[in-house]
Amino acid sequence: MSTQLDEYLEAEIQSLLTDGRIAELGITVNRREHLLVLGGEVESPLRRDEICRQINQRFPDVQIVCDIGIIRASAPSEVEEIS
Amino acid sequence: MIRIAAVGDVHVDKDVLGRFRPALEELPDRADALLIAGDLTRHGTVDEARSFVTEFGGLGVPVVVVLGNHDHQSDQQARVSDVLTDSGMTVLEGDATVLELNGHRLGIAGVKGFGGGFAGACASNFGEREMKEFVGTTEVIAARLEQALNSVQCDALVALTHYAPVPDTLLGEPLEIYAFLGCYQLGRAIDSAPTALALHGHAHHGSERGRTPGGVPVRNVAHPVIKQAYNIYQLLSETVDTELVTT
Ligand SMILES: [Fe+2]
Ligand SMILES: [Fe+2]
Repeated sequence: MSTQLDEYLEAEIQSLLTDGRIAELGITVNRREHLLVLGGEVESPLRRDEICRQINQRFPDVQIVCDIGIIRASAPSEVEEIS
Repeated sequence: MIRIAAVGDVHVDKDVLGRFRPALEELPDRADALLIAGDLTRHGTVDEARSFVTEFGGLGVPVVVVLGNHDHQSDQQARVSDVLTDSGMTVLEGDATVLELNGHRLGIAGVKGFGGGFAGACASNFGEREMKEFVGTTEVIAARLEQALNSVQCDALVALTHYAPVPDTLLGEPLEIYAFLGCYQLGRAIDSAPTALALHGHAHHGSERGRTPGGVPVRNVAHPVIKQAYNIYQLLSETVDTELVTT
């Protein structure tokens, strides 16, 4: 039986993301008609690739696209005055 | 005038090493201190704490931090704190510190904080033991922040938490999880003292700006929210002149 793209799958992916190594609570999982779109931002390319690899491995028959970004870490150009 | 740099949720592990460093090298030219609003590490291990210190330590400005929920994940928060403290950073958990900067006294009171929710949509201290323990934790932590904020003598007072003290800066997060992202009790503690600025993290999908019911500016400095290595806030901008104008 092929994996259903339903809320339980979403929940399972979320627990995969928080269990063990990955430890990401901020990844979004959006269901399209025939695929899952992963979103959100993480701190390194390595982390993004690991997330996609683990989810692909766990759900080999689900088509997954990874739109997870890497958060920029440049110095700011502005100062905010607090009053 | 005091300038403070702030960020939260940097979730450092070995794979992050070097990503923040170029921007941090410039920090001492731009700000007088660095405040970090929790989730310093990925799983709260001692190794990750060491990586965090390698990336964020030795800057030449004071670094003051609170821990986040990720820093508690491995139940080694005490050892994580020790690694940070040994490197010269100040870790606040229900206490306060005063930094002498440019002839001014900057007071910083900090706690990790906890969830619980906000007015009209919050957990109550009622029912099962587990529920009372949850809300009891929220209340104890907020009371410690209140005490810490009111314990310092300073020219400018900053509250530093991981969890959010207001719902304003959660905008962008699903409403259903607001109660796990912060609590109104932290806001009430902040309003009980002459707080100039409240900084928090934790809400990765939240938004940057808000105010407490008492009018204190709140900034969510979670790294995914500010999308740069740190933000800079200026406090005590030549207050003498404004006093002359208003009298
Ligand atoms: Fe975080
Ligand atoms: Fe967090």
